[in-house]
Amino acid sequence: MKAESTPSGDILTLKSEHQATIEVPAGVLGATWDNRTSQLYTACMDGQVLSVDLDSKETRSIGNHESYASGIVMGPEEETVISSGYDGLIIWHDIKSRRPIHVVEAHKFWSWRLSISPNGKHLASSTGQYRSGGYKYEPAAETEPSLRVFDARNGTLSHSFSHIPPVTSIAFSPNSQFLAAGNLMGEIKVFDLSTDQLIAEWESKDFTSWGIIKSHHYIGGIFDLSFTPDGEELIACGMGPMRDPMAGNGKQTWQRFAWKEREHPLTAEIASNEAGKGLMESLAVDSDRHRFAMAGRLAQGQWNTAIFDLNSGSLLHSIDTKMRTTKALFSAQGSDLFLCGAGSQKPPKEGQWPDFGRVHHYTLSAES
Amino acid sequence: MAFQRAEALRRGCPRSDHTMHRRLFLQGMGASSLASMMSWTGLFTSPQALEAAKRSSKHCILLWLCGAPSQFETWDPKQNIRTRGPFGSIPTSIPGVHFSELMPRCASIAHKLSVVRSMSTKPSEHFQAIDRLNRGDAPRPPFIRPALGSVLGQQLGQLDSPIPNFVLLDPCPEGNEFKSFKAGNWAGWLGAEYGPMRVGGEFKIPNVEKLADITTEDHEEREALRRFLAKKYENESKSEAAASQNAVFERVKGLMSTAHLFDLESLPAADRERYGPGTFGQHTLLARNLVENGAPFVMVANGMPWDCHVLHHENYQMLVPDLDNIIFQLVNDLEERSLLDDTLVVMMGEFGRTPWLNASRGRDHYPNAWSLAMAGCGIQKGSVVGATDDLGIEVVDSPFDEKNLFATIFSALGIDPHTEYELPGLPTFHRVEESTQPIQQILL
Repeated sequence: MKAESTPSGDILTLKSEHQATIEVPAGVLGATWDNRTSQLYTACMDGQVLSVDLDSKETRSIGNHESYASGIVMGPEEETVISSGYDGLIIWHDIKSRRPIHVVEAHKFWSWRLSISPNGKHLASSTGQYRSGGYKYEPAAETEPSLRVFDARNGTLSHSFSHIPPVTSIAFSPNSQFLAAGNLMGEIKVFDLSTDQLIAEWESKDFTSWGIIKSHHYIGGIFDLSFTPDGEELIACGMGPMRDPMAGNGKQTWQRFAWKEREHPLTAEIASNEAGKGLMESLAVDSDRHRFAMAGRLAQGQWNTAIFDLNSGSLLHSIDTKMRTTKALFSAQGSDLFLCGAGSQKPPKEGQWPDFGRVHHYTLSAES
Repeated sequence: MAFQRAEALRRGCPRSDHTMHRRLFLQGMGASSLASMMSWTGLFTSPQALEAAKRSSKHCILLWLCGAPSQFETWDPKQNIRTRGPFGSIPTSIPGVHFSELMPRCASIAHKLSVVRSMSTKPSEHFQAIDRLNRGDAPRPPFIRPALGSVLGQQLGQLDSPIPNFVLLDPCPEGNEFKSFKAGNWAGWLGAEYGPMRVGGEFKIPNVEKLADITTEDHEEREALRRFLAKKYENESKSEAAASQNAVFERVKGLMSTAHLFDLESLPAADRERYGPGTFGQHTLLARNLVENGAPFVMVANGMPWDCHVLHHENYQMLVPDLDNIIFQLVNDLEERSLLDDTLVVMMGEFGRTPWLNASRGRDHYPNAWSLAMAGCGIQKGSVVGATDDLGIEVVDSPFDEKNLFATIFSALGIDPHTEYELPGLPTFHRVEESTQPIQQILL
């Protein structure tokens, strides 16, 4: 436990308490929390879109994709969630009737990430297949726009943006004007939705591996992005370079960039003595309490989820949930942390497949 | 002798003549006989010799998918999302047969391929499995069974061919278990001359250019003299070292005349583009070029990229389409050049991948039930043999192991799989033990 500085300068200490673990049939790739109803919704590897009741631990299907369901957000309308999948579709689901309202073919390939703007107007999805484009297996150019933005209410396409595929992370700015996107090669682009223009692009070499041994190709990339609450900086997460890209043991990494400045300088990054090894896939920012969580997989070290101070970047608290976490979420009050992901899929027993999706619920408390 | 040779290699060449200095070797030559010189001159650089090499009738290209590719994302896709992963399946040119959706080009030429969906083997770790699937049998120390390429190089090639009988194209200098295997003894009891010539990186063979300041005639005369004297010394002294050194010189001489075959830049740009920009595709094109020019066996590898314990599907979205195109181009090219009926193409790794995913969304090692494919010489077109259950967990029809596979490869190439090795000091060994039968369903 470490000291946490708040915007007002108060010093807090942070602790977590495990409340519950809910098992779902398949690994969870995306999740969203409905503050209005205190309900969790998950997008799962069996294609199912589930509502998860934390109290009863009951799950209910409200729709499905033909392939993995990869992303889910609360819709702008009440009683609506929007999911995306590896079938390239975005589906608006009516929660009560459990029927699809709109279905949009967003991409020919997977939807890697789905995000809704804070003002509820824009829905963005990223795609892109890694195809060999060079002697060293540099990614080939996109065959369709790697980013598509839709009207979040009805699915009308509003923007298409280019990037080098695969684009594995996206984020809207707090004012909903800017869309950031990061890819396999650690290249980040920021687009202005008001002008349809690319306004910033840069590259970090610290998220991508090229296999020195075993595999002469690229792996890794930026797995999640988040703007800071003031919109001035961007945080990216992933895993540091590895000699053996199959080892999954790159440095647990986040970096922060002043994206509006010329050259987009790196302003902070995880301290080496606070990082273990493993892929980090999810960022969650708690604006009011000025902290952020980064979660993923632990290969070596102490934690697969950690909470950092937004001001100092120092580690405040860490947890090892013993799974691959693909989505971390704070409740609106910041008192709850939801960690969603998967354990190992086990062989079937007597014809039944053991559940391997996991949702961990922690409460956080800060004491002055 | 072969066993002694293998042992010498294993122990670091204890025999004194293995360590003889080249200068002593040359000083030991007796008086020369220039009258004999002309009979040696130009043997390996003559157009006739190259033509003879080209006539070597059977060839084999092994696309070695090291690390072990997943059967689910290639030849044996499943419908159930529990094990199939995020990729679906597509129909092929064989009615009722589906391949992974990542393989549309192979699906379009499925009628030219044979797929075995029921490989079931024992080793579940890379080194042991790589060894088993390259040698065709379990180890029996201290005897070292020659690798497939060594056996085929011996059976299909000619020792005095200018083109190496066993070429391994692999640019990845490391590769964990594959690196360890590569550092070992490939040729086993056949002897070092049947080992592979390994080429990689920039694909060119260094230091085989003729010196600029001597004429071709001078160069050939020097070589003829060297060869005559060296052979004389070898015969008179019965020196293994001299024999090995002669073999090396012959290979270098051959390489000098064939170095251009390893030069990718000499191949048409359109061909290079068709095979894709990546290393594996470019090497496969090189393999085609070598076979066209008489090479009996070429093994193409690229490290061990198929071992995707982490981010499996994220890697396979690139690896499998790349492979799909490479197989498509190779099989069609060999067919268009009327080489397919005489060239066996084998596409395999050392085992398969688990039906279930680990916590890193990767597939782990799975020797119980996996797939491979073949095409060309001696192989039926459009056959799919064996089957796994609906989830791909067990083989439910016609299980085959490495001995069946090797018997099939040898049979397809017209080599008796059950012939006994006749080497002094060696216990009774056969190319394939226990009279194991080939996979008859895919043989012509």
